[in-house]
Amino acid sequence: MIAGLTKLERQLSLAVLTVLALCGLAFAAAGRNDPIGTHGFVILLSAVGLMFVVMAGYYAPEPDKERLSRYYDDPTKVGIILAMAWAVFGLFFGVWVAALLAWPDLTFDAAWSSFGRIRPVHTTSVIFGFGGNALIATSLHVLQRTTRARLPDQFSPWFVLLGYNLFCVLAVSGYFMGLTQSKEYAEPEWYADIWLVIVWVVYFLIYIRTLARRKEPHIYVANWYYMAFILVVAILHIVNNLAVPVSFGSAKSYSLFSGVQDAMTQWWYGHNAVAFFLTAGFLGMMYYYLPKRAGRPIFSYRLSIISFWGIVFMYMWAGSHHLHYTALPQWVQTLGMTFSVVLLVPSWASAGNALATLNGAWHKVRDDATLRFMMVAAVFYGLSTFEGSFMAIRAVNSLSHYTDWTVGHVHAGALGWVAMISFGSIYALVPWMWKRERMYSSRLVEVHFWLALSGTVVYVFAMWNSGIIQGLMWRTYNESGTLAYSFIDSLVAMHPYYIARTLGGLLFLLGAMVGCYNIWMTIRQPGTSLAAEGSEVDEPALATSTALQAGE
Amino acid sequence: MPNFHRKLERSAIGFVLAIIVVASIGGFVEIAPLFTIDETVEKAPDMRVYTPLELAGRNIYLREGCYACHSQMIRTLRDEVERYGPYSLAVESQYDHPMLWGSKRTGPDLARVGGKYSDAWQVAHLRNPRDVVPVSVMPAYRWLEDNTLKTEDLGDHLLAMRRVGVPYTQAMIDNAPADAYGQATPDTDRAAGVSERYGEATNIRAFDGDPSRVTEMDALVAYLQILGKLTDVATAPAVAAKE
Amino acid sequence: MEIGKRDPVTGKTTTGHEWNGIEELDTPVPRVVLFFLFVTILFSVVYWVLMPAWPLGVTYTKGLLGFDDRQVVASAVSDATLERAAWTDKVASMDFPAIQADEGLMRSVRETGRTLFADNCAVCHGVDAKGGPGFPDLTAKAWLWGGSPEQITQTIEFGINSGHPDTRVSQMMAFGRDGVLDRKQINDVVAYVRSLSGAEAATGDNAGRIEAGREVFAANCVACHGDTGKGNVEVGAPDLTDAKWIYGSDTQSVFNTVYGGRQGHMPHWKDRLTPIDVKVLALYVQSLDGAAK
Ligand code: HEC
Ligand code: HEC
Ligand code: HEC
Ligand code: HEM
Ligand code: HEM
Ligand SMILES: [Ca+2]
Ligand SMILES: [Ca+2]
Ligand SMILES: [Cu+2]
Repeated sequence: MIAGLTKLERQLSLAVLTVLALCGLAFAAAGRNDPIGTHGFVILLSAVGLMFVVMAGYYAPEPDKERLSRYYDDPTKVGIILAMAWAVFGLFFGVWVAALLAWPDLTFDAAWSSFGRIRPVHTTSVIFGFGGNALIATSLHVLQRTTRARLPDQFSPWFVLLGYNLFCVLAVSGYFMGLTQSKEYAEPEWYADIWLVIVWVVYFLIYIRTLARRKEPHIYVANWYYMAFILVVAILHIVNNLAVPVSFGSAKSYSLFSGVQDAMTQWWYGHNAVAFFLTAGFLGMMYYYLPKRAGRPIFSYRLSIISFWGIVFMYMWAGSHHLHYTALPQWVQTLGMTFSVVLLVPSWASAGNALATLNGAWHKVRDDATLRFMMVAAVFYGLSTFEGSFMAIRAVNSLSHYTDWTVGHVHAGALGWVAMISFGSIYALVPWMWKRERMYSSRLVEVHFWLALSGTVVYVFAMWNSGIIQGLMWRTYNESGTLAYSFIDSLVAMHPYYIARTLGGLLFLLGAMVGCYNIWMTIRQPGTSLAAEGSEVDEPALATSTALQAGE
Repeated sequence: MPNFHRKLERSAIGFVLAIIVVASIGGFVEIAPLFTIDETVEKAPDMRVYTPLELAGRNIYLREGCYACHSQMIRTLRDEVERYGPYSLAVESQYDHPMLWGSKRTGPDLARVGGKYSDAWQVAHLRNPRDVVPVSVMPAYRWLEDNTLKTEDLGDHLLAMRRVGVPYTQAMIDNAPADAYGQATPDTDRAAGVSERYGEATNIRAFDGDPSRVTEMDALVAYLQILGKLTDVATAPAVAAKE
Repeated sequence: MEIGKRDPVTGKTTTGHEWNGIEELDTPVPRVVLFFLFVTILFSVVYWVLMPAWPLGVTYTKGLLGFDDRQVVASAVSDATLERAAWTDKVASMDFPAIQADEGLMRSVRETGRTLFADNCAVCHGVDAKGGPGFPDLTAKAWLWGGSPEQITQTIEFGINSGHPDTRVSQMMAFGRDGVLDRKQINDVVAYVRSLSGAEAATGDNAGRIEAGREVFAANCVACHGDTGKGNVEVGAPDLTDAKWIYGSDTQSVFNTVYGGRQGHMPHWKDRLTPIDVKVLALYVQSLDGAAK
């Protein structure tokens, strides 16, 4: 991989890694008595390790000019592998977290493994580790194919991919040590937050620079979504993470906002992390891989426009549905609820657009598990957005809030939509990237599909049951007009569902492991040049205009 | 529409700006007024700040992820008010950077748990919840009793809190480590400063039952025992109404 | 890339663009989408007019219905209180024996008491009220402070060593730690106390210790626990002759009790529960039967 970088890019890498190593050293020194010191070492070691990798390839000959006539896919390949690794890690922790609620003593009495610490390990690993890497990997792929322009340089994609993974490692290792800002989905501490901002700016620059050199006059829908994902996540991340650190040598910081303003900012962030990370980004993915795999045109361009702008505009109002009946002023709750209801329309419009695109290709859905992954994802997307809009209605939320119903909704979206669309896209992408005719085993894709689907269904049904039972038990009155059940009663009632959920999760995890094996074997099997079946027309779009490339 | 949009699709910068503008409206309209509309946060003249020991305990609450299972927000619903007490007011988390309202109740709400149980119970429960509540699924936090509380940098913590708007006085900041120690060691001379600076009503006790050491257990229990007790505004009218 | 190319499957025209093989149909937005957009927006507008909705600088639109969650819940709670008055008024006005004699009323008391007890008391006394180490069994009828409903009410309202100004206070001092008794004396009195309830039989070799313990007991303990060790409800000192133990009957536990003293803490509930709740709980606790469950 280093051999693919130019001399200049190798030098740039070393320079950046040196700066990073020095930062790590500074933290390690300043935070001797604080967990931030440990993180300083993590940063230092990552930087030095990568320096060795760069040095090892440093004296390789300059790459040939030919490369400019091909897309730059190495970061995508690494991103896919990282995504799958994080998936297994995160799902494993999901199963563990689930098991803890059924058998609470499975912590081995260690501090790092207690529920409150490994729950964010799970959420961060799956959302940011798995989801984020899948988004970065696919976005770089889709961006080049739909602009017919090569990435602007070969350094910044690595910076983004590896820098992003450093962020994830800091986040997850921090939770084990108890480092957290406690803001859901924004738990990492201030220095990791700052680092992510830098990474994200470079990510945005890659996008805008590539778009600037596109050979297609129009920007494709998938890129609208990827751009919205990048831009809005930046806004959300910066505002919600504003905080004052205790000192440079301390990992701890105090959030700038407090109380009700903090709550609103947090859920404006939290809800739109769902919208722009878990939804917009993956819609971008869907808009490329689904029509590609189905070999069908998008059902309606006009519908794409409506759903895109509907989503970008309306999601941002909906965050307050996480705070119904709380100390948040009621007027904000009203806005959150009404916009959530309207939001259903663009959401279903995009799910419908995807499903209608399959018209004329339903026989492929039947035969091809990869496409079926994407089809089922679109269905679950429709399902979870319907459920979300329903739960955003105040009267419904009074029952569902604080219960497992929310968790069921989350995982209908997370397993059914986010993970399924990612797996489908990755199965489409892997043979293209590694120039294989097809996946090592389509039977195993089929196995993965059924494990994933059954796992999701078991999980979601278990949580619907437990959530609704829980919500009802909390508010049921007896004939005397007093509360019929104690909190403990509801806790006892959850037990069987927590066991079922663990089993569902286990199925899902097994599926992901099967997927890893299949991908690994695909990479290992001998390459063909490029093959017919379902493969991508990977035309070297720039063969004729390499000159335009060189400078960037 | 399609024609206008086709033009927009041809300009990357235009598209970027359009996304930023369209996406910024909602958050701005919902968040900014929370700072300008006066009645958003009620007035509570008796509201007091967390003592250094309680703040340290709160940080342990964050560190251990208690918020993942416990809400601190009683909603305006009949069953919640009847089970947990008067609904939470915005002012009660005025000094909470960040707030800990929570989003999941695997365990019960803790907004008013302060004073509900004894220190000894809290300690026994945190040591192993299943010793006192056999069906509990809450983790055991045995290490809290063993870990000595880190107090030396609490002054910096109070200072950082002051920077984000919590009215800590200079005396509070200067005496933070001593006050943290004193609050958990009632028989030492450092205990007196705590009630002087934070009020007579402050709990000054050996929370973990061992007055010879100040542990993380002391801090966490001190924090739990103050939940819902920083001000009386939420409970006062309700008690009056009940009588 | 001809504009208006037709898709062979659906016969619809495309927009004429193509991205690496992906094309788009120029299908008009389906009517149903526009319809639902209209319906949901209409719903929202109506809702905004009726409810608090839009911020206006330093205030906000209050909505035509004048709806306010805080008032709604306040009236929901007071309505519910009124509805319950059918039986709670009786609980409030009748005296304990009369309530206990009223089977219908007691059904409501038990029903309500069960949840109240489980949400507030069970963490210490257990869901079945049988207690646990450090927390007394309330079904055993071995009352520290007396078992009449009035006495129980007072315990619940003000607690024991609770910090409330009117709390019951009980304190067993630390005989060992405070140096009142030496190790041998404590071992002796432990043997004696254990023998009172038959936890320790007077076999040959400890007969001497028990005898010595009797002396120690007479000199130090009878003030609270009484000459015969039957306890004293005035000071909350437990009966040591029954087989009911708060802190455990094994030698080590009893040793710890005498060495380090005990001061159980029962919180006060006057500020947390209504007078009706407290009365219901007292009745509920008193009605518990040790044999049940
Ligand atoms: C796995 C979820 C979980 C985590 C994490 C957790 N708890 Fe709990 N907690 C529970 C459950 C379930 C109960 C109810 C059963 C019981 O009393 O143990 C509970 C009960 C409590 C209670 C008693 C509340 C009442 O009114 O009865 C307190 C206090 C408490 N927890 C504090 C904490 C603190 C402090 C932490 C973190 C150090 C914590 N919990 C972490 C699940 C959790
Ligand atoms: C924090 C733990 C705790 C909670 C919660 C608690 N208790 Fe207690 N309770 C105790 C302890 C400890 C004692 C014994 C005090 C002593 O040792 O003198 C006690 C004693 C009592 C007694 C006196 C028993 C006797 O023998 O005289 C009654 C009655 C009682 N509790 C009822 C209740 C009720 C009703 C509730 C709920 C409203 C409740 N308790 C909640 C800890 C608790
Ligand atoms: C000042 C009064 C007082 C004196 C003197 C006193 N006790 Fe106690 N004792 C108590 C009280 C009150 C309790 C209950 C404490 C509690 O539950 O918190 C108690 C509890 C006990 C218990 C625990 C019973 C159980 O169920 O676990 C034992 C054993 C005991 N006393 C033995 C003794 C012996 C032996 C002595 C003399 C050496 C003694 N006591 C002197 C007041 C006294
Ligand atoms: C093996 C499959 C999985 C299992 C067993 C699992 C299990 C769990 C468990 C037990 C919780 C905690 C719920 C609680 O506190 O009660 C949780 C939370 C969560 N998980 Fe998963 N999970 C899985 C997969 C995923 C995936 C793939 C994603 C995202 C892409 C995801 C995202 C989340 C999120 C966002 C939460 C937080 C929900 C909330 O706060 O309401 N999970 N998961
Ligand atoms: C129209 C679209 C959607 C709406 C209106 C919506 C609405 C909601 C509502 C009302 C809640 C419960 C809040 C609460 O009571 O605490 C919620 C929680 C959540 N939803 Fe959705 N949802 C939508 C789509 C999705 C999708 C597609 C995902 C993808 C994974 C998702 C992920 C989540 C997560 C992670 C939470 C948990 C947040 C937390 O409490 O930690 N939602 N959503
Ligand atoms: Ca953060
Ligand atoms: Ca949550
Ligand atoms: Cu949401």
